[in-house]
Amino acid sequence: MQSNQYSVKVFETTINDEIEFKEFFDVNHTLFKDHLILIQGEMSDEIKCYLEDKKLEYLQNMNLPKGRSRKALEKEIQLLETESVVSKQIAEAELKKLSTKLQNNLTVLDGMVRSGRELNIDGDLLLLNRVNSGATINTTGNLIITKVVEGAIRCHGNFMMLTASPKANIVFNGVEVENSLLEDRLNRVELKNNEIIITPVLKKEINWAL
Amino acid sequence: MGIVIAVISGKGGVGKTTATANLGLGIALNGKKCVVVDFDIGQRNLDMILGLENRVVYDMVQVMDGDANIKQALIKSKVSPNLYFLAASQTKDKSVLSSNKVEKLITDLKEKFDFVILDSPAGIESGFEHTIEFADAAIIVVNPEVSSIRDADRAIGILDSKSAKVKNGEEVLKWLIINRIVADMVESGEMLKSEDILDILDIKLIGKIPEDKGVIDASNQGKPVVLDKKSIAGQAYTRISGRLCGQKIDMQNVEISDSGLFKRIAGIFR
Repeated sequence: MQSNQYSVKVFETTINDEIEFKEFFDVNHTLFKDHLILIQGEMSDEIKCYLEDKKLEYLQNMNLPKGRSRKALEKEIQLLETESVVSKQIAEAELKKLSTKLQNNLTVLDGMVRSGRELNIDGDLLLLNRVNSGATINTTGNLIITKVVEGAIRCHGNFMMLTASPKANIVFNGVEVENSLLEDRLNRVELKNNEIIITPVLKKEINWAL
Repeated sequence: MGIVIAVISGKGGVGKTTATANLGLGIALNGKKCVVVDFDIGQRNLDMILGLENRVVYDMVQVMDGDANIKQALIKSKVSPNLYFLAASQTKDKSVLSSNKVEKLITDLKEKFDFVILDSPAGIESGFEHTIEFADAAIIVVNPEVSSIRDADRAIGILDSKSAKVKNGEEVLKWLIINRIVADMVESGEMLKSEDILDILDIKLIGKIPEDKGVIDASNQGKPVVLDKKSIAGQAYTRISGRLCGQKIDMQNVEISDSGLFKRIAGIFR
C-alpha cells in the first residue's frame, strides 16, 4: 500500500450572519486558497455556491483531528484505557447488583427444615416449607420462605420475603429484624439507604366484588 | 418377616418406655407375636414396667457378644404368651453397641416375631442412632410442650438422615403419639393443640393419649395400663395397638374434657 501523509491548514468557523461571512471572504479569500474551510453548524445553499465560486474546498460539521504532541497523545490514550477499565468495573458492578436483585443461583427446596439442621446456601433460596425451631438458614443471596419460620435466618441478599414469624430470629445483612413488624401475610424486607423497610405484599384475603 | 418399630422421642421422660410396654402388650393381646427390646443400655426400665425385673438372667449385650443364646435371653410375659421381652444390660454402657451386632440381632428377631419394638434411649447419641438404624418404622412420642416437640423434631431429622432404609432410598414410616394430653389445658389454650404439633412435625398421627394418673401406679406395679379397661390412657393404647395391627379404629378426640362437653350441651338448652 502506498500512502502520503501531509498536514492541511484548516479554517474553522460558524456562520451566524451570512452577509458578514461573505464580506469577510470577499476581502480575505486569497488568504484561504490553500486552506480547508470547515463550517460547523448550519450552512445554506447560497453559501455553498459562493464558496464554490471562490474555488475554496470546504467541509461541513466534521470533527477533524487537531495536531497534538506525542506526549499529549500518549496521555490521552492512557486516560482512555483507565477510563474504560473503570467504566467496565462500574458496568460489571451494576450488572451484578441487578442480577442479585432478581435472581442469583436460585435453590428451590420443598422439604421441611427440621431442628438441628443448618442450611448454607450460596445464592438465592426459595423455601416452600417450614423452618422449625432450632434450625438455621444462611444465604448469601435473597431469601423467600412461604411458611412460618421458628428457627434462625441469616440473609445477606437484597431482599427477603417472609410471613409472620413471631418465634423466628431474623438477621438481615447483619441487622436483627423485629418480628412484630412482620404482618400475617407475605412481607418484603429490603435494605434502602441503610434502613430496613418492611412492606406487606400479599393481602391475606381477597375481597371479591360479588 | 416382622416389622421393626423404634420408639423414639428425643427428650427424656415423655413416656417412651411406658408407650413401648403398653403397645407391645396391646399388640400381643391382639394375637400377634411381639417382642419388646430395651435399647437403653445402662439405664434399663422396661423390665420394671412390664413387671419382669426379677426374671432377667441374660441381656441383649450378652446375646450380641455370643455369651448367651437368644432363646435363653428372651423372657416370656406373664400376661400374654405372645409377648416377649429382651432386656438391656444394666452394667455396660452404650459404647458396647456396634452396627453389625445390632443388625444381626434385629434380623434374628424379625424372623421370629411379627412385631419388634425397640425402646430407644433419650437423646440423640450413639445408642439412639443404633436403635433407629435398622428400624422399618418409628413411633415418635411427644408431650404437648415446646421442648418435647423441638427435641422430637431433631430426632426425626436424624432418623431421616441416619436410617439404613433411607440410605437405600426407601422411606422410614413415622407415626406420632401425643402423650399426656390434658383436655382442660388444651381448651383454655395453655397446652399446644395437636393440630399445631402436627403442623410443626409434619408426620402422621397414630394416636393421642390423655393424661392419666393410673399410668404411674400401673408402671410401679409392673402391670401396663393397657390391661386396665377403665383407664382412659389404657383405652388409648388399646386403640393405637389395634391400628398398628391393621384395624381401622376412628380417632377419638381426647382434647375435649368431660366438663367442657357437659358445658357445651348445657349451653344448648340454656
